[in-house]
Amino acid sequence: MITPSLALVAVLAAVMVLTGQGADSVLRHLYLVPTVWVALRRGAVAGGLIGALAGLLHAPVVLPAVERHGLTSQTLDGFLSLGLPVLTGLLVGYLADGARTRAARLSAVLAIQRRLAEPGPLQAALAGVAQELRATLGARRVAVLVGRDVQTALLASVPVGALVDPGSAGAFTLATGEPVMSRDLRADPRIWSDSPPEPTPLRALAVPLVSGVGVIGMMAVEWAGELSRTTRAAAEELAVHVGLAVENARLTLRQQRFAEELAEKVEAATARLRELDQAKTEFLSVVSHELRTPLTALQGFSELLLRSTLPPEKAHRCLVYLHTEACTLGRIVGELLDLSRIEAGRPLELHPEPVDLDALLERNVEMFAAEHRHHRFEWTRSAPGLALRADPDALDRMMKNLLSNAVKYSPRGGRVVVSASPAPDRPGMVEVAVEDDGVGIPAEQLPRIFDKYVRVAHPETTAARGLGLGLSLVKALAEAHGGRVEVDSLPGKGSRFRLLLPEVDGQF
Amino acid sequence: MRLLSAPFEPGAGAPPRPPLRAFAGTGIAAALVVGIGAVAEMLGVPPAGLGRALAMGAVHAGLIGLGWLLATGAAPGWPGPVVRLGVAMTLAPVAARLIPWGALAFAMMPVLLLIEAHRRPALRALGLVGCRPRHALAGVAAGGFLGAHVLITASLTFGHRAHTSSLAAYGAALAYDLGANVLSAEWLFRGAVFSWGWRRFTFWPAALVSTALALLRYLLDPALPHAAEARAGAIFYLGLVGLVACALRAWSGSLLPGYLAGLAFFAAYRTLAP
Repeated sequence: MITPSLALVAVLAAVMVLTGQGADSVLRHLYLVPTVWVALRRGAVAGGLIGALAGLLHAPVVLPAVERHGLTSQTLDGFLSLGLPVLTGLLVGYLADGARTRAARLSAVLAIQRRLAEPGPLQAALAGVAQELRATLGARRVAVLVGRDVQTALLASVPVGALVDPGSAGAFTLATGEPVMSRDLRADPRIWSDSPPEPTPLRALAVPLVSGVGVIGMMAVEWAGELSRTTRAAAEELAVHVGLAVENARLTLRQQRFAEELAEKVEAATARLRELDQAKTEFLSVVSHELRTPLTALQGFSELLLRSTLPPEKAHRCLVYLHTEACTLGRIVGELLDLSRIEAGRPLELHPEPVDLDALLERNVEMFAAEHRHHRFEWTRSAPGLALRADPDALDRMMKNLLSNAVKYSPRGGRVVVSASPAPDRPGMVEVAVEDDGVGIPAEQLPRIFDKYVRVAHPETTAARGLGLGLSLVKALAEAHGGRVEVDSLPGKGSRFRLLLPEVDGQF
Repeated sequence: MRLLSAPFEPGAGAPPRPPLRAFAGTGIAAALVVGIGAVAEMLGVPPAGLGRALAMGAVHAGLIGLGWLLATGAAPGWPGPVVRLGVAMTLAPVAARLIPWGALAFAMMPVLLLIEAHRRPALRALGLVGCRPRHALAGVAAGGFLGAHVLITASLTFGHRAHTSSLAAYGAALAYDLGANVLSAEWLFRGAVFSWGWRRFTFWPAALVSTALALLRYLLDPALPHAAEARAGAIFYLGLVGLVACALRAWSGSLLPGYLAGLAFFAAYRTLAP
C-alpha cells in the first residue's frame, strides 16, 4: 500500500525534474493522489508521511524560485503547495481514522453482544469478549473480571493466565468504581514494580463495568507504546457496553433457569394432579364397591326378614349377618369421616384415657383369629408396668387396620405376630408391632404406602377389599397421639409395622 | 498482568522532585570550563583553537551530564560516571586539536557511555538497547534522505557545492558527530527528554518539546552560520531530523536508529560548502 504510493511520488518528482517543471506546475497537484489514497487506506500517520515526502520532493523546485523572485503570488502558491500534501494527508487520514475507529467500535460492540448472547457458560463468553477487545483496541493484554468479589469473580484474559491480587489496581477499581490510568506501569509510583522501566512505556487502564445495579466487574487493558486519547475513549466506551451486555447475559441466564425450574415444577405438579385424579377415580370406584357390598347384604337380609317368617335360628343368623355388615358399613363411614377431617385440616377428635393395652390387643387378636382360620395368630403380652394413655377407640381402629392389612396381604394364610414392648431404639415410647410373612412391599413403594388412596398392587392380592385409607389413617391417628408408625418390609418375606406411642409414667 | 497482580497504593502518586542541585552543579561546572575555554580563546593561548575546543567539549560534557541526571534522577553514585564522562568528553576535542589522529578520541565516547550505562539497568529506559536491522536501515535511510535533500536544495537554491576540502578534515568532522554532536543530542534530547516526556504524556508533546530544546541548543551554537536563510534551513532540517529521531525512538524502542539517522544526515551535511 505505502510502497506503490512512495514509488508514485518519486516518479512524479522525477517527471517534474526531467521535464523542467517550475514551482507552479500543474503536475504538483498530482502529489495529492497518492497522499489521499494512503491517508484513506492507512490513516493519518501514513498519509502525513506520504504528504511530507511529496512536500520535501517538491521543495528543491520551489525554494530556488522563492530565492530568485522573492515572495510573489506564484512563488507563494508554490510555497503553499509544499505544506498542502502533508496537511491533506493528515486531515484525510484523521477523518478516515475516526470513521474506521467508530466502525471498529460498533463492530466490536455487536461482536461482544453476540458473544455474550451465545448459549453456554459465561466464562467462555468472557474469553471471547476479551479477544474482541484486544483486537479492537490494539492492546497487548486484556482482562475482564465479572463479579464484586475478586476471590470469586469470573476472570477471562488474553493471553490467558492472569491472576488477581486483592490489593491490585484492578481490585481497587472493582471496589471503588474509580478508573485507574497508568502512563507507564513500570514507572508508576502507585504500582509496585520489581524491574526498572523498559524503553517503551506500558500504558494501562482499569475501568469499572457498570450496569443498572452498579459496578458488576472491571476491565483491564495494557498497551505497549503510544495510547491515543481516541483509543482510551474507545476503551471506556466499550467497558460501558461490556457491562450492559454482561448484565443482559446474566439476566437472560437467570430467566432461562427460572423458566426451566418453573417448567419442571409445572410438570411435576401436573403429574401429581394426574396421579391424584386417577387415585380419586379409583377411590370413588372402590368406595362405591365397598359401600354397595354391605348395603346389598343389608337389603337382602332385611327383605328376607320382612317378607317371610323364618325359624328363630335362621332369623338369628340373618340378624348376625345384618349386624356384621352394619358394623362394616359403620367402619367405612367412620374412615371416610376421618378422611374428610384430615383433608379439611381439622384435628382428629381424641379422648385419651388410660388404656389396658393387653386387653385391647387380646380382644383384637382373638377376633381376627376367629374370622381368619387360615392364619395363625400369635401375640406376646406386654412387659409388666407398660402404661399407655390413648383414645381406646382410635387405638382399636389402628390395631384393626394393621391386623386387617396383615391378613389381606398374606393371601395364602400364614403367621401374624403381635407384640407390645418398650421401643428398644426410642426411649419413652411403647412399640406395638404387627408382623406377617405375606407378600411384602417393594422398596420403591415403601415411601408412599402411608399416603391416601394408595394400595400396593400384587397379583396375589387383587381380591383384597379396601379403600386405600387404612395406613394413612393409622399414621394420622398415631401422629395425633404424638407417636408415629414405621414399616420394614421385604418382598416375598413379609412386613413388620411398628406403632410407636408415647409411654406415660405409672401403672394401671 | 501487572494491573491485576501488582500491589497498588492510590495515594502514592507524587513524582520525585527534580535533582535541581545536581543539575545546577553540573551546569556550573560545565559553564566554568566553557568560560575558561572562551577566555583562553580570547587571549589567544597557543595552540590556536585550544580554548574553543575546550569550550566545545565542556558543552557536550554538560549535555551528557544533564542527560544522565535526568535519566537517573541523580540516583546515589551519580557524580562518578558524570565526572568521568564529562572529563573524557572535554578532553576529546582537545586531543583532536592537539594530536594527529586525536579526533579518534571522539570514537571512544559512545563506547565509554555504553560502559558506564551498562552498570545501570535503569538507563535501558532511555532506549539504550539494540534494534532490529530494519529499524537501523530506516534510520540510515531517513537521515540519508534528509541529508541528500539539504544538499540538493542548498545547491539549487544557494549554489552551494558538495565537496570536501580534505579527507582528514571530513573524517574529523564525522568523528565529532559520532562522539559528541549527534551522541549528546540523542543522549539528552531523545534519550532523556523525549523518553521522559513520552512516558508521562503522549508522543507529540514529548517530541515537540525535545525537538524544540534540540533546536535551541543548535541555534545557540556559535559555529552555526549567522545568515538568516542558513538559520531557517537549520531550523527546518534539524527540526525534521529531531522529529524523525523521536519517531524512530518510539517505533523501535532504541536510540540507535535515531543516532544513525543523525550521523547519516550530518555525513551529508558536512560535505556542503559555499
